[in-house]
Amino acid sequence: MNPTHDCGRSIEDLSDYLDTGASPDAEHIDYCPQCQARLAGLRSLSAAAKDLFDEDMAATADDDSGWLDGILANLRLETRAGRSIPLRGQGMDELTETEGAVIALVRSVGDALGGVLIGRCRLEGEIGTASAPVEVRINVSARYGYQLPTLAEQLRSAVFAELLVQTDLNVTAVHVAFTDMRPPFDDEQDSLEEGRQ
Amino acid sequence: MKRLQDLPHKLADAPDAVLAERAGDGDVAAFETLARRHAPLMRAYARRLVRSPEEADDVVQDALITAWKDIGSLKDGAAVKAWLMRIVGHRAIDTGRRRKSHENFADQPDQADHQASPEDVAVVGSTRTALNSALARLPEEQRRCWVLKEFGGQSYEEIAEALGISVTSVRGRLARARTRLVTEMEEWR
Repeated sequence: MNPTHDCGRSIEDLSDYLDTGASPDAEHIDYCPQCQARLAGLRSLSAAAKDLFDEDMAATADDDSGWLDGILANLRLETRAGRSIPLRGQGMDELTETEGAVIALVRSVGDALGGVLIGRCRLEGEIGTASAPVEVRINVSARYGYQLPTLAEQLRSAVFAELLVQTDLNVTAVHVAFTDMRPPFDDEQDSLEEGRQ
Repeated sequence: MKRLQDLPHKLADAPDAVLAERAGDGDVAAFETLARRHAPLMRAYARRLVRSPEEADDVVQDALITAWKDIGSLKDGAAVKAWLMRIVGHRAIDTGRRRKSHENFADQPDQADHQASPEDVAVVGSTRTALNSALARLPEEQRRCWVLKEFGGQSYEEIAEALGISVTSVRGRLARARTRLVTEMEEWR
């Protein structure tokens, strides 16, 4: 850098150029030796920063692997109850189950099917009012290689059946949205191929 | 029919977005999978922002508590990593503030931490090592800005909010930090 011929561009201007790849001043920057030298310095700083942080991460990963177990054990994760859903009881006692419990149930029904993993699940409707119509909306991550309409139908009927047994909800629809697609596990791939033969 | 015992296996390669949705619905296993996936990053980041590894682990723990409480309101599950990093950044800054309020020499830049160890110095010529010791010599306010930007990937606006300063100040501090770091690294060669 030659201070006697300072072109007047600040390190901020050059950082912006580096971050965005564009600058109204690009014509100057591209041909100014001083700017080019400073850009080279900033680029090698970025590269060194990436190296340093990668090394930091490797070092923390090497450090006692049990630390996170301790933290997670200390978290005491509270459950999410959500709304209260009435159940038909025998006597005068009020009997309810929580929305969180029902959503967890839907999740486990889906997870038990091959090829799908449940994402967000929503119960839409007045679930606090007995026999009010309720629609279930489920986001699903599916593996490649499964017929999506078949998969959706399996999931729908499994969820209907389970909710009928475990709740008094008046489920009028189960909507399935495939929001994510993933490559299969090796073992699932094997069983799929066996199934085709 | 897949058995439920396969669940950890199923979650292990699930994308962040799906895990975040499940965690938002109260699935503890999904949250733990996310935590394990991003914890090394969160921990390394926290260590660069506070003074000791112990303090950093407290920051990560606090951040995970906050994350579990708030993940239900996260709009874009795919952005969960950046979101976790933002929480770590905030928690780390808070820790620094709390510590400072207990100290008399509040505005002294902390020169002692992150000092290059003898083993580090032995690896002469490594730009990584040069950066590590140059970073240790930066005034704390500049170093924080730089770490929030470079390691945390945070925007100027986010940094300004976390530090309680203006975006213009963030730009200024970052520019001073970068200028000093580049100069010191060039001297190292």
